[in-house]
Amino acid sequence: MIALQGIEKRYGDTTALHEVDLTIQDGEFLAILGPSGCGKTTLLRLLAGFMNPTVGTIQFGEKEVANPRKSSKPEKRNIGMVFQSFALWPHMNVEEHVRFALKNHRFSNKSTANEQESRVTEVLQLVGMEAFRKRYPAALSGGQQQRVALARAIAPEPDILLMDEPLSALDAELRISMRKEIKQIHRKLGATIIYVTHDQAEALAMADRVLVMQQGRIEQADKPEVIYQRPETTFVATFVGKANLVKGSWKGDIFTPADTNLCWKEAGVAEQLKQQHVFPVRPEQWELLSAEEEGLPGQITLSQFQGTERHYVIQVGDMEYQASLPISLPAWREGDHVALQVKGQHAASSTEPTMLEIT
Amino acid sequence: MQLTMKPEHLEKGRHASLQKLPRLIGILMLIFFFLLPIIRLIMMSFTSGESLSVSAYTEVLQDAVTWKTLWNTIGIVAGSTALSMVLGVTMAAIMAYTNVRGKSVMQLLIFLPFIIPSYITTLAWVQFLSASGPLGGLPDWMRPELYSVGGIIFVLGISHYPLVYLMTVQVLRRIPRDAELAAMVSGASRFACWRRIILPMALPGILSGGLLAFLSNLDNFGVPAFLGIPANIRVLSTYIYEQVIGYGPSAFSRAAVLSVLLGLLAIAVTFIQVWLLRKSNVTETTVADHAPRIHLTPIRRKSLQMLLWIFLLGTSLVPFLAMGTVSLVQAYGVDLTWKNLSFGNYHYILFEDEKVIRSLRNSILLGGVTAAVCLLFGTFFAYYRARNQGKLPKIMEAIITMPYALPGTVLALCIILMWMQPLPGWYPGVYGTPAIILIAYITRFFVLQFRGSYTAFSQLDKRMEEAARTNGASSFVRWKQILLPLILPGVISGALLVFLTALTELTVSSMLWSSGSETVGVIIFSFEQAGYSTYSTAFSSLIVLAILLGALGYLFIQHKWKQKGRKV
Repeated sequence: MIALQGIEKRYGDTTALHEVDLTIQDGEFLAILGPSGCGKTTLLRLLAGFMNPTVGTIQFGEKEVANPRKSSKPEKRNIGMVFQSFALWPHMNVEEHVRFALKNHRFSNKSTANEQESRVTEVLQLVGMEAFRKRYPAALSGGQQQRVALARAIAPEPDILLMDEPLSALDAELRISMRKEIKQIHRKLGATIIYVTHDQAEALAMADRVLVMQQGRIEQADKPEVIYQRPETTFVATFVGKANLVKGSWKGDIFTPADTNLCWKEAGVAEQLKQQHVFPVRPEQWELLSAEEEGLPGQITLSQFQGTERHYVIQVGDMEYQASLPISLPAWREGDHVALQVKGQHAASSTEPTMLEIT
Repeated sequence: MQLTMKPEHLEKGRHASLQKLPRLIGILMLIFFFLLPIIRLIMMSFTSGESLSVSAYTEVLQDAVTWKTLWNTIGIVAGSTALSMVLGVTMAAIMAYTNVRGKSVMQLLIFLPFIIPSYITTLAWVQFLSASGPLGGLPDWMRPELYSVGGIIFVLGISHYPLVYLMTVQVLRRIPRDAELAAMVSGASRFACWRRIILPMALPGILSGGLLAFLSNLDNFGVPAFLGIPANIRVLSTYIYEQVIGYGPSAFSRAAVLSVLLGLLAIAVTFIQVWLLRKSNVTETTVADHAPRIHLTPIRRKSLQMLLWIFLLGTSLVPFLAMGTVSLVQAYGVDLTWKNLSFGNYHYILFEDEKVIRSLRNSILLGGVTAAVCLLFGTFFAYYRARNQGKLPKIMEAIITMPYALPGTVLALCIILMWMQPLPGWYPGVYGTPAIILIAYITRFFVLQFRGSYTAFSQLDKRMEEAARTNGASSFVRWKQILLPLILPGVISGALLVFLTALTELTVSSMLWSSGSETVGVIIFSFEQAGYSTYSTAFSSLIVLAILLGALGYLFIQHKWKQKGRKV
């Protein structure tokens, strides 16, 4: 178990982290999600031991590894790390990278040369790089370099695997396939993985738990489904779910959008959003009806065909809302007047939100 | 799953306040070695006898010789800088943009006058233009007189134009071709395009090259010493030398005042350069484009090539051949024929005059030790500087740059004043021994090694080291297996530069040498001053050969290194 208590990190006048309290269970896959500059990388580097917290303590199990005065060095922590830039060593070939980790890591139990050699082969097979073991990084593609970086980090079987946007240097297709592989490796190793990313699809797809951060604070930490469907703050709603925030007034579970007589019943909206008088609607939750029907009156300003869905921008009063609808529905043209409703609210029969399958 | 921390107490981890101790010691050392000598010089200039006064300033500034020297200096530096800039920019434009062939050999020839010490270049030109040289058949009025202001300007300009060339050619290649094309599409003529687009974009490079040439011309001692002293033309650097060598009652404080003047000039120009370079960051992001942009017709291309070869061979090879010829004759002034051919001069300098061998041994030893010390500490400092971005590291970098930015004569004087009594009551007795030359070299050339190592470190992703740390590698293992193998080429080339510069150094050692601690430069200088031109040319020819061999060896090693293909 990793426990962070009251962690604060300041650089001069700027505060990168505010009072972070966090517990990570053994074997958990935790994704730290947030825009650039939100403090996620700082948090990871604190866990790795590259810096000291300004306030607070970090515990690995029973052991305190960092406080403002002292911290154990990265090389003495039982960790592995994968870097965004891969950080491969240009003068070493693939197997030398893995062997370096086995020889130097303080917690590796592969002490004899034979054990190390068979572990090198084992790990390279695991990441599918066995055939390239004599190659130098310059002769590898981006995806292959990524695998080497991964092999180097997991070879000594560390308890904690830290990953700093490991897929962001890869192209879109490769990213999707590497997601699966990292997930499989996590299952095989059982190590705790702390995975930093700014890509919400990546975080939702891979993690057991997603931690959303903004401006050095934890906004929400929960299962991916909860983060997506029950955002607790406007930031989480807009950053993760790309939700439109409809302004209006709440009475218990009933929401009335401003300047309308509509009633939307919804039990799942967080208290904080209610206090800010908003109702979050994700793009795929909208329903577009003809203008004479009951709903928010709006006008289509942009209609884009995107293969599996059609994307609309709709002007409602002085707000612009985004909507994504399946192409099986009839298309609206730019300039059309429509009425907006939230799915399931039109008939006001069911408040059960559709669970979204995330792959 | 269980977390298995080894039973190790946090007390063994690094303690934040302990980390600051080595840094504090480092700062104090840097201030002591690099800043204090300069402060001592400034203090000396305000001292007369035991008391604080400006009398040295009033005395020096009221002396007509000072003003004559100052005007000479300004005239010579301005003239030679202008010559360097015209040559450098023209060459850079031709090499960067036209389709002339043989560019790689031409580049090497351009750098030749730069890697050969300027006093040897001077000797070569003197022999080339002398009555017994290859132009000896011409009447006297057609052979330019080198022992003159014009001669000094010419040799300085020829020696330092590679600096302007180097800075300009890099900028020119980085100007996007599209910028030029966009101007032409907008209806600009080729001339307008150069004047309005290319020159303004290249200006930071041209100016910083020009300012480097300016500093080098100001700093130069060899050329005005060889050509100016016999003709009674003084510049600040030779005037300071004469003051220190001539002793006299107030020699040191007079020299200190002159040094402060010269140093102020150099520092002012350095600041202008830094300020200009700051504004030039814009073009550095684009990649260099080596393809020719101006396609000349075959006839024009060939005539331009012809001109270039005449110029390059004429400035970089022929004078040295002329020098080599003189070194092979039996007596100065005799024409070289098969009958007169003799290796007697070489025999003399290598086997008969023990001073020559001793100076070679001294210079190699001084260069070697300087390179080794700078290699170690310069690389550590470069590591510190590459990993720390604050204000303090920048100030410390500026401090170690100062001894190199200052003219050599000024630094030599600083070192004398500092090391006679570094701290009150401490007399290390290094003045008059080879040790003071060593200290001066380390102080002066430290920044060269720093630059080489710093460039190597800044090209190295710091995550590479962090990756090793998360794999459990101790700092010893990280240096041995990750950092050193990756920075080695940069570090070695820095050390080679330090070694070569120290090997042929003249300015500092001419003021600090004593019997027994002569350097190569000092011996060549004294041969020439005593009129032994056959010996000085023979020794210089040997040095030029050694430098060329060294440079070729270096290029070969670099080539081999690249072939390994391990670099990303």
